[in-house]
Amino acid sequence: MEKTIVIVDDSESIREVVGFTLKNAGHKVLSAVDGKDALKFFGGDKVDLLVTDLHMPEMNGIELIKEIRSKDNYKFIPILFLTTESQQVKKMEAKQAGATGWIVKPFVPEKLLAAISKVVR
Amino acid sequence: MEQFKKKFLEEASDLINSLEDVLLKLDEDPNDAQIIEEIFRVMHSLKGGSSMFGFEKMDGFTHELETVYDLIRIGSLEINREIMDITLAAVDHLKVLLENGDELDERGRKNHQVLLERIRKITNSKEIQEEKTNQGEDKDRELTEDKSRLLESAPTYFITVKPHEEIFNNGTNPLLLIDELHTLGHCKAFVKQHKLPLFDELDAESCYLEWEVFLSTDQSTDDIMDVFIFVEDVCEVNIHKIARENLLAITSFTSELVNFIKTDKETDVEALKSLVEDVQNQNQEEDAEQIRLKDLSSQKQKANISNIRVSSDKLDDLMNLVSELVTTQASLSLYAETHQSPELASIAENIEKISRQLRDNTFEICLIPIETIMIRFKRLVRDLSNELDKEIQFIAEGTETELDKSIIEGLTDPLMHIFRNAIDHGIESAEERLQKGKPRQGRIVLKAYYSGTHVFLQIKDDGKGIDVEKIRQKAINRGFITPETQLSYKELLNLVFLPGFSTAAMVTELSGRGVGLDVVVKKISDIRGDVEIESQLGVGTTITIKLPLTLSIIDGLLVKIDHTHFVLPLSSVDKCFEASNYDVQNAFNNKIVLDGKQVPLVHLRKEFDINENNPDLHQVVQVNYDDYKIGLSVDSVIGEYQAVLKPLGRMFKKQEIISGATILGDGTIALVLDPAKIISTFDRETIMKREQLKQTTDVDT
Repeated sequence: MEKTIVIVDDSESIREVVGFTLKNAGHKVLSAVDGKDALKFFGGDKVDLLVTDLHMPEMNGIELIKEIRSKDNYKFIPILFLTTESQQVKKMEAKQAGATGWIVKPFVPEKLLAAISKVVR
Repeated sequence: MEQFKKKFLEEASDLINSLEDVLLKLDEDPNDAQIIEEIFRVMHSLKGGSSMFGFEKMDGFTHELETVYDLIRIGSLEINREIMDITLAAVDHLKVLLENGDELDERGRKNHQVLLERIRKITNSKEIQEEKTNQGEDKDRELTEDKSRLLESAPTYFITVKPHEEIFNNGTNPLLLIDELHTLGHCKAFVKQHKLPLFDELDAESCYLEWEVFLSTDQSTDDIMDVFIFVEDVCEVNIHKIARENLLAITSFTSELVNFIKTDKETDVEALKSLVEDVQNQNQEEDAEQIRLKDLSSQKQKANISNIRVSSDKLDDLMNLVSELVTTQASLSLYAETHQSPELASIAENIEKISRQLRDNTFEICLIPIETIMIRFKRLVRDLSNELDKEIQFIAEGTETELDKSIIEGLTDPLMHIFRNAIDHGIESAEERLQKGKPRQGRIVLKAYYSGTHVFLQIKDDGKGIDVEKIRQKAINRGFITPETQLSYKELLNLVFLPGFSTAAMVTELSGRGVGLDVVVKKISDIRGDVEIESQLGVGTTITIKLPLTLSIIDGLLVKIDHTHFVLPLSSVDKCFEASNYDVQNAFNNKIVLDGKQVPLVHLRKEFDINENNPDLHQVVQVNYDDYKIGLSVDSVIGEYQAVLKPLGRMFKKQEIISGATILGDGTIALVLDPAKIISTFDRETIMKREQLKQTTDVDT
């Protein structure tokens, strides 16, 4: 079933490759360049999943997750964040902020889709 | 992937430039935390991207570099001259890497090594190296994993999953994890409700359920744990290996389980293990027997036939019986509801579930693809185009779409008529088409598709289309309208559906014999369908038929007015609202405000002339028909109801607003309302429009 997925990353190439993979899997993809930009998708419209990077110039991933969790409409939506092996500390911080899970960079499309299927169907 | 790579290279060069820029700033003010954060961020992006797009050298290099700045960021390392020098040299090296697309010559490679060593010296990163080797092992294991699972021999695990109450706060849906366990192998899950509080104390945002899962898989416990990787902190998971073989393949075990596992109590693992032992002993004795049986059944399977032919009479009988069953089940459910007996309630619930499945299955059996009648139309197009000397290509799409066989039967004649019209009046002759600049060959496309609980059939031709001016003239000539009547494009087009209206200038052998499109509409509405027409002069005409999936049983909304029950088809119900008696009685201009919008209201009590026991509160059911919304006021809404449609007797044939009747659980009868007809009969605006039309006709004649 088609899901509406918001992808937030300041790197255009990551946005494109994630977007490409998700679109190929039949989802609707909305992309934003940073946390602040992403908020425009959370004004009441249905969002099934948020995939966000953690390091971004305007409003980083952790702040974004906290912000989303404070909104009644999006209190329980799954949120995945993009991270690298070396960031164990960040992982805990993001989970405490309310993230559902993570995707370890670098990833192949299958890995991305497997992580997503863990939290949304 | 290549196009992304290119993009990344552009992006990376920007990143490296900005990195240099920020580094120089840092040189001026080495203690600015914000600048360090910025450097880290840029390196991180660079690393993420390069690993993503396979620039291994760049990835490894930035990774080491990033580690340095991570350490600086958290304060375990301080910026000094040496770090600055190395970083700047590293940035230069990154530029080289970028220019050469991650390739290096002899000198470059040497430089690469030297720089790496110098960076590593700074971080002295033992930890990271360890991580690397771990990763390697992981990959190896993945590779050697055998994908094909020998289920029979795979060990069985007993897994308890206890989510913390606040698990939802992280957006986790624990059911998905249980689902994922099912993908690992043979799996049976039991839900535990012993922590479920009474309804009054229940917090809808907390999770009270736990699961016990039997899983037979050749995956390791680590792999099973991997399923729960996101929820380690909010969910307690225990895995016990209870047998070396697949217990779930043993029927005596699974049937024992149903009694053994109680939904309101945690299962004792020791007790479970002893049960397993019992079953294993028992099973060994039966094994020999089973092998023999298996051989037998596999032989049988080979002889099985995948299709059988059944006469349609038998299917009709089956359908009728199912309808009766659904009705009887409704009365059982009602009886169970009024008698406080949990056993009875659970039996009734089961029967309801089974009869629903049986109903769906039977429907499915009675469905046949549209393909089956397509051959007739192909033939028709071929013969007719030869006769009329037209060149026509016929394309059928979505003919695998299935419909109830009684609907297909009722569909053939009207479709024939539409096709004849399209070939005869729609598609022009080859010369005419060439003159108009159209391809020589005309096209008729039949498209069938599902949408919600309906099937749509579209017949589209690229012929001359309908000239609405001509229709208008004709309607005036025939006295349907006066020259002053203002009608929209759509309304004009819809005139062709009026009885006695035919647009063909010349009556030909095949169509236009006075049997107009009104017959098509009539026949389609007999099978509860609708016809719509769209046309553009010179471009073509499209006729769309909307059909219900099935005729005999519909999902309905049961409502009540005074002591009488009515059923509204659920497919047209939009929302239910509450409205006071005053609002309903005094609706200004027959409009009521629902959800902040003015919606025409039909006060059914008034229309049906039921005046007793006016309630203080009415329920207004908003129904949707053809994008037209209307509110119907009733006394109360009872709930969803599977209505078995029975035709009304002959004497009620003339009335239109009721499409049938259904028998309720308690034996009383509920009338099934047709929202489309209710709109056309009771809605003021629709009536006014029609009156206008009629009045002008009267004056004319």
